[in-house]
Amino acid sequence: MPLIELRDVTKSYKRDAIEIPVLDNVSITVDEGDFLGLMGPSGSGKSTLLNLLAGIDRPSSGVIRIGGTEVSGLSERALAGWRARHIGFIFQLYNLIPVLTAFENVELPLLLTTLSKKQRRDHVMTALGIVGLSDRESHYPRQLSGGQEQRVAIARAIVTDPTLLLADEPTGDLDAKSAAEVLTLLQRLNGEYKKTIVMVTHDPHAAERATHLLHLEKGTLVEQTRVASAG
Amino acid sequence: MKFIGLVLKSARRSKRRTALTILSVALAVFLFSALRAVLEGFDAVSAASSAQRLVTIRSTSMIFSMPTSHGEIIRSTPGVQDVTWANWFGGIYKDPKNFFGQFAVEPESYLRMYPEILLSPEEKKAFLDDRTGCIVGDGLAKKYSWNIGDRIVLQPGIPVYGSQDYPFTIRGIYRAGSSAVDNQSMMFHWKYADERSLQKGEVGWYVTRVADPDRAVQVAGTIDQKFANSPYETKTDTEQAFSAQFASMLGNLNVLLGSVALAVVLTTLFVAGNTMAMSVRERTTEIAVMRTLGFPSATIFLLVVGEGVLVAVVGGIIGGALARMVINAEALGLAGGFIPAFGVSNGNVVVGLGLSLVIGLLAAVIPATMASRLKIVDALRRVA
Repeated sequence: MPLIELRDVTKSYKRDAIEIPVLDNVSITVDEGDFLGLMGPSGSGKSTLLNLLAGIDRPSSGVIRIGGTEVSGLSERALAGWRARHIGFIFQLYNLIPVLTAFENVELPLLLTTLSKKQRRDHVMTALGIVGLSDRESHYPRQLSGGQEQRVAIARAIVTDPTLLLADEPTGDLDAKSAAEVLTLLQRLNGEYKKTIVMVTHDPHAAERATHLLHLEKGTLVEQTRVASAG
Repeated sequence: MKFIGLVLKSARRSKRRTALTILSVALAVFLFSALRAVLEGFDAVSAASSAQRLVTIRSTSMIFSMPTSHGEIIRSTPGVQDVTWANWFGGIYKDPKNFFGQFAVEPESYLRMYPEILLSPEEKKAFLDDRTGCIVGDGLAKKYSWNIGDRIVLQPGIPVYGSQDYPFTIRGIYRAGSSAVDNQSMMFHWKYADERSLQKGEVGWYVTRVADPDRAVQVAGTIDQKFANSPYETKTDTEQAFSAQFASMLGNLNVLLGSVALAVVLTTLFVAGNTMAMSVRERTTEIAVMRTLGFPSATIFLLVVGEGVLVAVVGGIIGGALARMVINAEALGLAGGFIPAFGVSNGNVVVGLGLSLVIGLLAAVIPATMASRLKIVDALRRVA
């Protein structure tokens, strides 16, 4: 059963009076439990596609349906609530809040829920446990390595047990060893915890970890591949 | 409640900047409270001024004196019940910095005129019996650690009182029974000053008690009429108007102090607003990340406003506490005895806190709106 359905989605930006097309009639489906790698050269529209899936940007036309909800039709307020419940987002530059500890960073999305302080603590410690950083809960981002920061960011993304994990070049700023650890973690989240993941990447090694690959060029879908060795 | 930790952490992001903002708000509230305390002092006098008392001064200015013979003429005016007089002495106690009001008064009638000057019968008698005796307010006595029986010496500060020192013995320490009387002043026998004065028989102002307060204005007019076209024309007013006139010697005090307070508050508002805007601009990516995590615009708005209010109110608390400590301890008696000792009241502190709250709210509204309206994708792209 498809978790994500995109039908004839186009997106263009206006710069001054010029209309710049970014996505052109993209239609895809992603099944629940898939680990989709989005590839393509710079400017191909992959990050834009990811932003549309995350509900932080809106399509110019077309329909985006995720988990049965037509995301493209939600109001700003409803969209914020929907993101909080259904989306876990992993950024290339981790984007942790520097004045918060690892624990507090992971707890951040839970502040929007009705969970008690104790329940929040349990959830945070579980998430930190999954990424292997239980012992770093009181560390500030500046006290962590890049790989550890990204793992905290992953814990923040999974702490609400979202429907969909979106990762925007999650290894783009990491050394090879840390990148491999992060990719293994994502693979585990997909395989062991059955998380549906969409990951934008330039890196062919990273793409190998996905179960499916989509290639975009100039805003158009050019190839869809099933990765045999994944998993 | 769960967001308070987030607000606190955000406020501590740039400790120096937050501290400076707190300091600027504290200073604004301190100055505002101080200025308000002065205005409250004048208001307290007006409120406590007796409707039965009239004050007569020279029509030209209160710094010019009148002959003692005016006293009898005033006493003979219909409707007048009692008359007393006083002079401004302007002496120096050890150092010109030790400024307080010193009045040469006709002791018996002065104490009759001002029942608000509270003395024990023994103190009153000792004062009346000693021509070089004086009485001092309890606030003044406390300030200089004076006790009954202490001898103090004043140097004359006005040439008319000669150049020789004036020794006094403290015969009583009075309490102020109402705001019409200042507890930071000293009173002594008019005759003691007069016998050494280069212009004998001169009086600074007369105070008259009228039998019927409703006829006070009429009696005042009659008194002034009696001295019309004489070398010593007078101007008689109610005690309240006299206090107001003293204030007007300093210009339109209300407008002046109000303008200063407004300028201070507006400047602080701009400083705090600019600081908040700077802080939000620096956090553009973080705010975009929080929005991505699902924080609604309204929550982001409240977090920024909460931070502004927190910083400003902390400043307000510090400013209010400072004003209470410094002004209530040091600024007493600055008005030279014409208005009672003023201080920062509880009400004044509450107004100061309210002001800091308003500064916080107003300073944060624009940055908070900026933050809540941020386009997530644009904000993330700015850094990526």
